Amino acid sequence: MKRWLAVATIVTYLGVLCFGVASHALGFRQASHPGMYFIVWDMFCGWSGYEGRVHIIGQGESGRFYQVAPAPWKQLKPFGDLERQHYDPFVNHAHTIALNTLRNTQHEPMRKIMVIEETWAKKFNLPDSLWSQRYTEEKQPYSYFHLRKEYSPDGTLLTNNQSWFDYQDHLCLSDNPRLWRDSRKGKPVYQLPTIATASHETPASANHATWATPR
Amino acid sequence: MNINSRFNDFFFARERPFGLALARICLSLVLLSVMVPRWSHARELFSADGAAAPLSVNYGMPDFLPVPSGTVAVAMASVLIFTLLTSALGWCTRLSLLLSFGLYSYLNMLDCLGTLTKYSVIASHGLLILSLSNCGAIWSVDALLSRRSVGRQNDRRLLMPYEPSGSVYGDVWPRRIMQFLIGLIYLGAAFTKMHTPAFFSSDQMRQWMLTNVNNANPIGEWLAGYPETLVVAAYVTIVWEVVFIFLAWSGYGRPLMIALGVFFHLGTTLLLGLYIFPLVCFSLYLAFLEESDVQRLAAWFRRLARRGNRAAIALRNAVPRIDGRLPEISLPQARGAFAFAALLLVFGGVELEYQLDPFGARRAEGAYELVEIDAESVGQMLRPSEPIRDEDKFLSFEIGTDLLGDVVVNRRKEFRHGDTLVAQAVLNPPHEDMWVECNLLDADGHVIDEVGQIVERSKLRASWAYEMKASLTPGEYWLVIRVRGRNLTRQSFTLLADE
Repeated sequence: MKRWLAVATIVTYLGVLCFGVASHALGFRQASHPGMYFIVWDMFCGWSGYEGRVHIIGQGESGRFYQVAPAPWKQLKPFGDLERQHYDPFVNHAHTIALNTLRNTQHEPMRKIMVIEETWAKKFNLPDSLWSQRYTEEKQPYSYFHLRKEYSPDGTLLTNNQSWFDYQDHLCLSDNPRLWRDSRKGKPVYQLPTIATASHETPASANHATWATPR
Repeated sequence: MNINSRFNDFFFARERPFGLALARICLSLVLLSVMVPRWSHARELFSADGAAAPLSVNYGMPDFLPVPSGTVAVAMASVLIFTLLTSALGWCTRLSLLLSFGLYSYLNMLDCLGTLTKYSVIASHGLLILSLSNCGAIWSVDALLSRRSVGRQNDRRLLMPYEPSGSVYGDVWPRRIMQFLIGLIYLGAAFTKMHTPAFFSSDQMRQWMLTNVNNANPIGEWLAGYPETLVVAAYVTIVWEVVFIFLAWSGYGRPLMIALGVFFHLGTTLLLGLYIFPLVCFSLYLAFLEESDVQRLAAWFRRLARRGNRAAIALRNAVPRIDGRLPEISLPQARGAFAFAALLLVFGGVELEYQLDPFGARRAEGAYELVEIDAESVGQMLRPSEPIRDEDKFLSFEIGTDLLGDVVVNRRKEFRHGDTLVAQAVLNPPHEDMWVECNLLDADGHVIDEVGQIVERSKLRASWAYEMKASLTPGEYWLVIRVRGRNLTRQSFTLLADE
């Protein structure tokens, strides 16, 4: 390779890598483009005390329920013992998986497709032998279920709820009557849309939170 | 020496690409082990006829990459299997590596659920750098055919060329940027950890050791009970990741950094159940292999052969044996055979996948039917979302004598007068601000002491210290965690009699 081309390659490649490291270190536009996934080294950037699974269930016109994922044919278990849909923490691709299954199986007409999150405390993953060493109480695994999304049979999004974690976060925050009252101060009981708000489909701010209803 | 000459020496010294040749072979074989199981699922994973899950959807750019049809996806996966194999063999090496890089990166970006992970990204970088190098100049089919073309097919020294032979020498810069890649990956990973305080408190890795999303990791599940080891390991890891790029070039730093890296990645296999990520990293570590290392290894190998070691002699004779079995073809003919084999594999792969009928669309009994789920089970799943139970908010409750990095150490069940007992409850996020009591009970369940504290929503630890005073009579006791009037978890200990 010609020398100048090699130098240009070295400088460009190392420059891109350094940009990725700097972007990640400073939190600057690190999720702005799919290409950033190739230069941002954020392995194990998150964690949780709860294990999650994704269930995709179809309800037929008869009212009966069907397992839409995993599909009835042989499934790939990409990284261990779990099927692919469980590696979709943002549930962005569940409807694609569901539509593929419905397209390639025999079934009654579907009424809707439901995406349900199942979550449990990770300590229940311990084998019984280790559990008995660390805990005096009996191991009684308990799962939480949370309806995340609903789709029509053609993939149209019907219902979009916040994730189970966001729901629990908001429950913790809304467990504060003073905070709840402050958030409502200055807001009228009932507000008609103004000309400005009526002409926009979405609020100006991207920070409109969907608050869980206090229980 | 001025900067220009240092730059030239560092990036443009001439060398034989031993390290990159080994990296080429190892990385290609590792990626073959990843892509071969996915080949039969290519239609489902990578095509619009299946359930492709493009990474770009997660970034809000659903149309960033075109999603191919099922047949094209299968053809691409077939070509990728072929080019990974030919990359390992070193047959039309540069073309094989370029095609492998392009196809591997593209197909991975089409399936962010079951194919694309960070090891895929690292491997893509590795394939790109290898395609820019002359890693196919040695230990490859290309090298064997090239020797024939210059009439040196009987020169066994070219197995371990320790004399300059011109054609196998190349600039060192591809190996240098691969070394920089590894160092910058670790530096980026260090920044990730700096952004994650729970890494240093052991909470993050402890929970990762308990997850079942990766392969089985029984050692990790056991070690999760000793979080103090994770606290120490966290600081060692981050120091290693930060200094790697500065120390891994020469001298004692090179073997030390590589050895720590091997230890670290083996740890991820044993503790987290990661198999492929370490193998990809080990493949790229071969970029740190210098010519002098290979020459020392070759000298040792020759000594073994001279002493009559059978394995060494067999290996020494293997190359001429392999060479003798290869057909007598020229380089242009070999390239033609490559193209023919690739086409054969494409058509063969597409036809084989059609015959396998992964979706069962052409089964004699018709398409698969959906599995019905009973209404009661679904009713359980559709019950209203509920808040987390108090008992699930607690990960552990342990007693010991001290704290290290804010985790209990020296866990014991027996204490004597004068000892200090430290009890600690570890919580899972999210939790609200809580009032948590740690009550001391005797063997008959009588409450001796009640101590409560506020555990703010941002805190994951609640610790209590008890002095084993003379007023406590020897015997068995219980420490009980109580929230909202309910006993959630408990630990027992024995106060031993004074000797």
